[in-house]
Amino acid sequence: MAATVAVLVAVFYYPVGTVLVESVVVDGVVTLGVFVELLRDPFYFGELARLFAGENPLAVARALASPDRRLGIVGFTAYQAGLSTVASVALGVPAAYLLARFEFPGRRTIRSLTIVPFVLPSIMVAVGYVATFGRNGTLNAVLTGLGLPTVELMFTLEAIVIAHAFYNAPLVARVTTAAWESVDASAVETARSLGAGPVRAFVDVVAPQVYPAVLMGAALTFVFTFGTFPIVLALGGFELATVEVFIYRLVGDLNYAEAAALAVVELVISLSVLAAYLRYEAAQTVTSRGIRPLPRRSLFPPAPTVRELLPRLGLAVYVVVAALVFLAPIASMLLASVTGGDGGLTLDHYRFLLERQRTGAAFQVRPWPAVRNSLVFAAASALVALPMGVIVAVATTRQYRGRTLVAAVAMAPFAVSGILVGLGLLRGLVFGVEVAGWRIAVAGSAAVVAAHAVAGYPFVVRTVAPGLESLDRSLVESARSLGASRARVLRDVELPLVWPGVVAGAAFAVAISMGEFTATVVLAAGADAYTMPVAIERFIGRRLGPATAMGVVLLVVTGLSFVVIERLGGEYRGL
Amino acid sequence: MTDETDAADRRRTRRRFLAIGGAAGVVGLAGCTAERTGDGENGGGSSAGDDGETGDGAGDDGSDGGSDDGSDGDDGAESDDDDDTPTLTVATYGSFIDAPSVSPGEWLKEEFESRVDATLEWATPDKEVNYYLERAASGAPIDADLYVGLNTEDLVRVDEELDDDLFVAAGDVDGADDVRDGLLFDPFDRAVPFDTGYVSLVYDGTETEAPETFEGLLADDHQGDLIAQNPGGSSTGRAFMLHTLHRFGDGPDGVVEGGDDDPDYDYLDYWAELQANDVRVLGSWDDAYTSWSEGEAPMVVSYSTDQVFADMEGANLEEHQIRFPNDQAYATPEGMAIFADADTPDLAREFMSFMLEPDVQGEIAERNVSFPATDDAELPDGYAELAQEPADPVTFTYDQLQGSLDGWITDWERQFAGN
Repeated sequence: MAATVAVLVAVFYYPVGTVLVESVVVDGVVTLGVFVELLRDPFYFGELARLFAGENPLAVARALASPDRRLGIVGFTAYQAGLSTVASVALGVPAAYLLARFEFPGRRTIRSLTIVPFVLPSIMVAVGYVATFGRNGTLNAVLTGLGLPTVELMFTLEAIVIAHAFYNAPLVARVTTAAWESVDASAVETARSLGAGPVRAFVDVVAPQVYPAVLMGAALTFVFTFGTFPIVLALGGFELATVEVFIYRLVGDLNYAEAAALAVVELVISLSVLAAYLRYEAAQTVTSRGIRPLPRRSLFPPAPTVRELLPRLGLAVYVVVAALVFLAPIASMLLASVTGGDGGLTLDHYRFLLERQRTGAAFQVRPWPAVRNSLVFAAASALVALPMGVIVAVATTRQYRGRTLVAAVAMAPFAVSGILVGLGLLRGLVFGVEVAGWRIAVAGSAAVVAAHAVAGYPFVVRTVAPGLESLDRSLVESARSLGASRARVLRDVELPLVWPGVVAGAAFAVAISMGEFTATVVLAAGADAYTMPVAIERFIGRRLGPATAMGVVLLVVTGLSFVVIERLGGEYRGL
Repeated sequence: MTDETDAADRRRTRRRFLAIGGAAGVVGLAGCTAERTGDGENGGGSSAGDDGETGDGAGDDGSDGGSDDGSDGDDGAESDDDDDTPTLTVATYGSFIDAPSVSPGEWLKEEFESRVDATLEWATPDKEVNYYLERAASGAPIDADLYVGLNTEDLVRVDEELDDDLFVAAGDVDGADDVRDGLLFDPFDRAVPFDTGYVSLVYDGTETEAPETFEGLLADDHQGDLIAQNPGGSSTGRAFMLHTLHRFGDGPDGVVEGGDDDPDYDYLDYWAELQANDVRVLGSWDDAYTSWSEGEAPMVVSYSTDQVFADMEGANLEEHQIRFPNDQAYATPEGMAIFADADTPDLAREFMSFMLEPDVQGEIAERNVSFPATDDAELPDGYAELAQEPADPVTFTYDQLQGSLDGWITDWERQFAGN
């Protein structure tokens, strides 16, 4: 516990705190002036700013209801996050249905690979999206081929929402699949034997166990897309700028007070959403999950009937849409990595990687050290994140007042502006602090691992906590009364029972580490601790080739890692 | 919790179990560095300002702070190395040493080390000059000797944010007299220009013919044709916005009188019309150039050296045409300056002179795909054909930008993104 708290304080709460405090301490004086000014600024808060300025709530409500209302940057950010959440759920839940309820060749591999979008740097996604949904993209080529009118998707809100779904629908799919797989078949059979039809049995038995997972995926999606940054300006444009865009600009101008105040607003909104979900989760008392999972049906039934064909037809439509949203951008990225300046196929970009590896100077970023560092950091940070996550999960599944608050605060690494975390790490760790005449500074590999672990551990909490929550308390109590210590109970009783969640958490911790950029680039001082995303950023240039080739390397390395992790971890539940 | 019989030794077991989990966190300490500060023992300490400004930094730190080779401080060498070769740490932006196409870093290091008895180390923090600005603001020592790649806006920001000097006057640098008139952008003579570039329109000549004036960009047949960048986050985007401001001014109450002879029509009015004509403003040069390359729009704000790259790649130059609106382009000279905290200011000055030598100037221009800062640079034949310079380069001076730049960008943001 002490070690967990120490790591969290050292690489998260302390560095971030030093930045956030600037919103209320200006020139050494404590003030709320920055917040007051921010809240009353219609640019950020739209019509709501008038409410904060003391106007009549009714007048503000009327203004909000009128068609030419101003949302403000904060309002717009929430609006696009809401749309992105809806899109992610709409694209994620059918995938969960397919993966949880049907058997087909390659199911487990596809399930493992659903985590891959998580690690792709936004510039790669942007490249893939322009090539897929752009004016001359794959989608329009197909539409033209079919004799249909073309669409202009780039630089619209729709483009951003689809890209957000690319990142987050797989998350929704993973949580929901896990919950669906842990529905107890006997409960459904009991309902059916009592005369409930299949629809009734679904609504009364299956759905209540799947809802919480969908909501969790939705809550996380909202929080992630609320803090979205580079993808918005790459695919949408400045008209669609979000809160994080302005935090970035204010930090660049060293206007820390306003940047921190905006980040606090962002944090409060995100944590409220997470806290609301956590309250809901705590109120759900689903015990005895997954004793005997529902049997999977074959995707290709031997004797098709209308009843069996209809859902499969629906899934077929879904697969086409999913292929466009998830596979086409990745395929476009692969294609870009083998396309030369003249438009022909070439392996030049991969040759560039080999060449850079062979002849690159010591101070340059080379591919192999990036791959090696990524793998080492991912493994190490998962090893740190797992015990941290388990301990926090244990701490937040005990019954005491204010535990929802503790649980929400433990989720803070999800909700704090990534730009401010980077700034905090820079000022708090890399620059160091002065203690008794010594300047203590932290950087390099170990700090990168710690930062990755902090970014990844909330996933472990979320995959482990629901399992712990639903454990039969009498198991723990009997073990304790037989003389087992608290740690022994955790190790011998609780952990084995929630092991699938632990493995799932590990997968996410690895994914976060593989894809992390902001903290890595700050802490990987010099050129010796850089990772694959850092290498991709370095290889971005006028030509897309070298960066996309490195992106494909990232894709392959992470894809293989996940297949291996999940094969080793066994069939699991959780995220 | 119900059972109070837990023995103390069991608690210890638990603690050990947890300690294993935290072990990697403890390993974090392995990445720790501790450095004595502020007690006068080390000239490079955090007491900024009192050792660098008189130019004596190289001589007085024979005793080496005790953290590395304290027993070896014999002849006043500034280096951390065991041998006597001094080390010069040069900070710059990433693509200066490590671009996928070409970058001058490697050649400069080899060449400098062959001409001067010194070791050159590059430092490329991700936040570029802001990294050092933030270090100085936090009271942390500056761990580099000079910065390569400063522009006017950087200097304005540095001077607005810091009370103490981050950089010192360059002093006597050989070759500084050869720097072209009009490029010198630092009124306090800290930054010495080493190259320059021009931000212009790049267009695909097979798709459109770019207009000859800013007003032409508002025409119906150029609707949705232009991709620019966010002035708050991209230097090309900022240069283009400043260029429009140079052309149209910042209003009757502003400080800039535009070249359009209409005091009531300012840059924000122009941008309102540009936005109505569907200009796309993306986050970074990368975003914009990617979208442009994929054919999302036929024009993009970029550098006037675009054809040099296109030629290297064997691309069709017809698809990489340059247009200088109103025969102008915004000039973006890059400078180098010595940190006030530099351990080796004399060596840093030597490096600056090296950077201005005619053959080095030619190499920088070619490898950084830019224009030389001096008028006696040795450029390869044909370079000028592909790298185009405007008839009338424009730029804002330090004094014009000071106190105004931030407001100009904020006003632009508030108009463009107001929703």
